[in-house]
Order: sequence, then C-alpha cells, then structure tokens
Amino acid sequence: MQDHDVTAPIQVRNLRKRFGRRLALAGIDLTIDGGQIVGVVGPDGAGKTTLLRALAGLLEIEADQALVLGHDLRGDVTRLKANVGYVPQSFSLHRDLSVIENLRFTARLHRLPQAQLAERAGELLQRTGLAPFAERASGALSGGMKQKLAVANALLLRPPLLLLDEPTAGVDVMARNEIWAMLERERSTSLVLISTSYLDEAAACDRLVYLDGGRIVANGTPAELRRTVALELYRAWGDDPRLIARSARALPYVAGARATGRFARVEVRQSQSPGTDRVLDALRALPGAGVRLAEATAIDMESTLLALARGTLT
Amino acid sequence: MTTAPIIRAQGLTKRFGDFTAVDDLTIEVVPGSIFAFLGANGSGKSTTIRMLIGLLQPTAGTIEVDGIDVLHQPRRVRDHIGYMGQRVSLYQGLSLRENVEFYAGLYGLSGAELERRWGALRERFSLGEAEADKTEDLPTGIRQRAGLALSTLHQPRVLFLDEPTAGVDVHSRGLFWELIQEEAEAGVTVFVTTHFLEEVEYCDWVAFIDAGRLIANTAPETLRRDYSDGYGISIDLPDAERPRARAVLENLATVRSTPTGFQLAAGALTPELLEGLDRIVAGARAEIRIEQTPMTDVFRRVLDAQEKPS
Repeated sequence: MQDHDVTAPIQVRNLRKRFGRRLALAGIDLTIDGGQIVGVVGPDGAGKTTLLRALAGLLEIEADQALVLGHDLRGDVTRLKANVGYVPQSFSLHRDLSVIENLRFTARLHRLPQAQLAERAGELLQRTGLAPFAERASGALSGGMKQKLAVANALLLRPPLLLLDEPTAGVDVMARNEIWAMLERERSTSLVLISTSYLDEAAACDRLVYLDGGRIVANGTPAELRRTVALELYRAWGDDPRLIARSARALPYVAGARATGRFARVEVRQSQSPGTDRVLDALRALPGAGVRLAEATAIDMESTLLALARGTLT
Repeated sequence: MTTAPIIRAQGLTKRFGDFTAVDDLTIEVVPGSIFAFLGANGSGKSTTIRMLIGLLQPTAGTIEVDGIDVLHQPRRVRDHIGYMGQRVSLYQGLSLRENVEFYAGLYGLSGAELERRWGALRERFSLGEAEADKTEDLPTGIRQRAGLALSTLHQPRVLFLDEPTAGVDVHSRGLFWELIQEEAEAGVTVFVTTHFLEEVEYCDWVAFIDAGRLIANTAPETLRRDYSDGYGISIDLPDAERPRARAVLENLATVRSTPTGFQLAAGALTPELLEGLDRIVAGARAEIRIEQTPMTDVFRRVLDAQEKPS
C-alpha cells in the first residue's frame, strides 16, 4: 500500500486507445475517489473491457493525463501493477494448479510473507465457501467457484484498486452474493471498478459510469442517472400481460412495452406524455386487453439503462 | 391443462462414477410455453439439457420430446429441436451468411426455400447488416441473436436455450426476450436457462434444480407467493374517500391505515383484488404503488429453505 495516493486514485483526461483503425476509447475524462464501488456499464462493444485493461496498465494508451494511484499510465507501470487487483473476463488462473496453489503462486510473485498468506487465504477461502475445495484443481471447479477464486486471488494482497471485468457473468445468485459480500468489505479501503450486466448489481453500486462508443455518456450515482431519464414508467396488471403489452405498443406516446410476470411494463416518452392520469385511463381502456389495474411507478434501473442505450434522456 | 406435454422426463438420473449429477428428475413442459430451468453453477442443469436433447445417455429414467423416445431415437429428435449453447456455436472465420449456409446444409435446406426462410429470419432478427461480417467480429448481442436465428432455421417445435443471455447487455437482452416470446406465441416451446433471475418473469413456468434434485417446479407467481412476503400495496387517497375504500379492501387483503391512506399486504394479486384496487383508484384519483419481491430474493429464499429444512 506504500504507493497509495491519498488524492483521487483515478485521474484521467482525454484517454484514448486505438486498435488499428478502430478507436476503442475515444477520449475518456474520469476522476474517481477511493472508498467506493463504481459500476462500469454500457452496451456490448462500448469499451468497458478496454477501459479496465487500460487502467490496469495493460495497454499502451494516449492521454492528456493518465494517473492511476499516482502512476502515469504512459510511463513505467511496473509498480502500479503490484497495487492493482485485476480480474479479466475469462478465467485466467492456472487450471492445473489447485485453489490454494493458485493463491500461493500469486503470494510468491508479490513476495507476501508466508504467515500473511496463510491468514489472508484462510479468510478468503472461508468467506467464499471455497475452503472445502482448496485442494481441487482450479480447472475442475464450477463456473461460479472459478469466479469466486479469481476475485479472492485479486483481493489477496489487499490492493487499493480493484478492476473486475464482468466477474459475475454466468454466475449463480448465491455465488454472486458471496462475491459482492467480499467487495463490500473492501469498499472502505479500496476503489472497486466492476463491469456488470446485472441490474441489481448496477443498482448496488455507489456510482455508475455509462460508456457507449468509447465515450462516457453518463457518470453519477444510480439515483442521479435515474433522474436524467426522459421516460415515465407504468405497469398494467391483468391476466394476459403479453396481450396487454402488444395493445399498449399501439398507443402513440408509448416508447416500449413488455410483459413481465403479472403485468406489462409500459414506457412513455416524457415529451409526448398526455399526463399521468390520461395515460392510466388509456391503459385501463385498452380494447380487449383485460387490464385490471394500471399504476404509475418510479423509473427503475432497467428503464435507466435502456434509456441510456436508446438516448432517451432529458 | 389437458394438452399433452411436449417434453416429458421421468425419473431422470445421471451418475458419473460415485457422483450423482442428476437425481430422479421428473418434469413436464406444456407445448407453446416458456419453461425456465434454473439452478446454481454445477447443479446439473447442463447435464439435464444434454440428456433431453439426446447427447448424453441417462443412467436411469425416460425422456420423450415431441412424441419421440429420446433414449432410443436420439438422432431423430434433432430434427424437432433447436439448440443454442452457452457459447453460441457459430464458426469463426466464416461470415454469418456462410454459417447460415453451413447449418442449412445440415438440415437439408437450400435454394429458394432457404432464401425464404433465412430472409424472414434476417428481417425479424435485424441481422441484415451483419450478414457479411465474420462472426468473431460481431458484438455479443448480435451474435446471440444470430445464434437464436440459426437454431430456428429448420422451424423446430422445441427450442433449448442454455444461458442465451449470459454476458449480453440489458438492451440486447430485452430484444432477445421479445423474440423468444414471439416464438412462444407462434407455438414453439422454449426451454431456457438463465442466471438473470428477473428473466423468470418472462416465463410461464419455472423449475429449479439444486445438487441434481428438483426443489421447485411451479408457476413463477406461485413461487413468489410461497417464498416471499407477497405484495405490499400502498394507497394514498383523500380522507373523504377512505371509509368507502376500506370497506372494499377489507374483504380482499390485510389493511393497515397510514397517515396518507392504507397499506395492504397480500399473498397474491387476485383478479378480485386488482379490480377492487382499480375501482378505488379510478373513482378517487388515488395514488397506488405495488411492491413485489424481486425474483432474485425469491430464489435466495428457495435456496435458504433447502439449507435449513424446517
């Protein structure tokens, strides 16, 4: 932790990364304070992975400023790498080594004393429920266990910066809980950047950075982002929500409607909305749709991210 | 429902040495429904799917898919089903169009028939612009849509989708589910696995497997009723309206007064309750908010109940 800067751990201005003719990062301005969990969200191909790899010091980049934990990404990043826990999208630990051997290997690379390794590894294996599988070859673990190991491995040295690229993709709900419980414990001492496509995880972040086309489109707390959405959200309850959704799409001001559970979620463009009461009346009166109850509801994370994807913001 | 199930597995068991991956599983799937098959990583989901589509011989049990005995005619079942795996099986190095021709060849589809069928899919799945691209260059969302299009090329009656939306962004997931729901409305049966538990809300039925055993097999709404506090409903309305509203509501749910109106607790949203609420709201311009337990929490409770049997 000797290199940990007390000022904002990430300070980048006009960060660019080019792959051949494609500009994967097209000028990122980002200053992030420590002690929080920041979600990196956005559509496939937005540049999330490239941003995380760049911040981990794994890519040659161009920028006007590129400070991560006080190290310049354009210079020697050897000391930076020792202070970053990075989990790439695909499992990249040694499959033929056991769980504990992988942790030992990481510890030796970074010259972590044996006693500290034993204590920290024991604690992490306990928390992840991996303790009974410590001797199992990593390649033989289930998908969820592999990801828990990858995150535990990144946390081994208590790095001040954690960069996690979709660590929970394809992971079941209990393993996701355990991974998030680990991250919550690091929140006070580290900066955690995590890319995710789960709505509940995005909602649980302190802050969200939304990328599209290699640029930051939005940056704020989940509540701040919700307030920028230029949509109204309604729910129309009835016996056949798919039929309700189909009928609702015929209303001129409806931006989208989808059956989900017992109701149809109906999004209305704020600029075209005739007002809450009239929308509710129109939903109740949808011919033949059998709407039993219509309700106006608060914008949720799903609508927020969809609005960002479609550009329906104020 | 009197319709005969289109997928019927009885006493399905698979052992690998001492390890029982799937343990005496019995499921029935209604034709034209969307059947969510859920479970933790390593719980036996993929093993079950591989048995259902005739790729893996069970240790015990019987399987019938679209009237075919899968154990005895594993090759015949493949004409009746479409399958899309966790990693979409598109050949890298080939363009999407070349992949289409390759798969069409496997199904004996060619010439005008192929053009008609693919033309319709290309339009509906918005794949026109991607057709000439090498599949490894396609964004995840488009690759998933292309995978789904290819798995329906031969117009199968049953679709098996193993985590089709893993790693796909929320916008592409929404489009993907609209396509899946359209397939179901056209009469195709969809058997799907996912870790996005909110996607269960798009399904008609949900089965949950844990350590090889089925621990839930029911409608999503029933699961929510049994494994959550049900629905919390708050109603804000003017003082003058409250006595009339209370009279209506008290027959329908547990009612508690609040400074601005009422708070209701209900295990399920029955048609009577919904209509009762609507009468109050429509008449008085009251404001209503319905809170339902997210599916993610419902499933945590299902799993907790397994760990701590009462």
